[in-house]
Amino acid sequence: MPLDQETELAKGETDSLLSHHETGVLALGRENEPYAIPISYGYDADERRFYLRLVSTPQSEKRQFLASSPRARLVVYEEDDPIYRSVVARGTLEEIPEDEITVEHIEQYGEAKRPLFEIWGESRRDLDVRLYVFDPVKLSGRRIEIDRENNRS
Amino acid sequence: MSSETGAEYAFLCPACGESLEVNDSMKQALIQKGCIICGTTVTDGAFTRISSPDSP
Repeated sequence: MPLDQETELAKGETDSLLSHHETGVLALGRENEPYAIPISYGYDADERRFYLRLVSTPQSEKRQFLASSPRARLVVYEEDDPIYRSVVARGTLEEIPEDEITVEHIEQYGEAKRPLFEIWGESRRDLDVRLYVFDPVKLSGRRIEIDRENNRS
Repeated sequence: MSSETGAEYAFLCPACGESLEVNDSMKQALIQKGCIICGTTVTDGAFTRISSPDSP
């Protein structure tokens, strides 16, 4: 029987993990279909909000999911053996229309990382780049410490 | 944002081609933080004045 210890991350630890990472996996759900993609994000620890630039092509599966205002989860995790930490954020993605962009948005996206995983190889004309805010209704973090010694026996 | 709602400049990102109509505060933020879409540093040259701030 493993003797691993699992504890909940405190708010400060959760914010710290999300602030010093810049990528995660965004999972979207539509009817009974799942869709998951690696994304880059910026995180505002004061507002506990994520800022995302999401790139898609007009006919792509990604665009179809994003257009449906899907329920979303964002997973960010790190491994520093023997300690593993993860954060799961749950909520709905909200698109920021171009005509509603404010100074505050420009500042927030300035802090956000470029979309590292996104497709920039294609002509910008063929890409649909949209800005989203992910304001989670639930944000929870866990820390697991693996007890290697006892797990061997 | 349009000139009717306070837009003073047309912004065109030289890197990604994003275009936006912005006011002076947004222009300053874009110069300081980079293009909101691609993050590329932008200069004053990326903005074209489309109206005077004193226009009715």
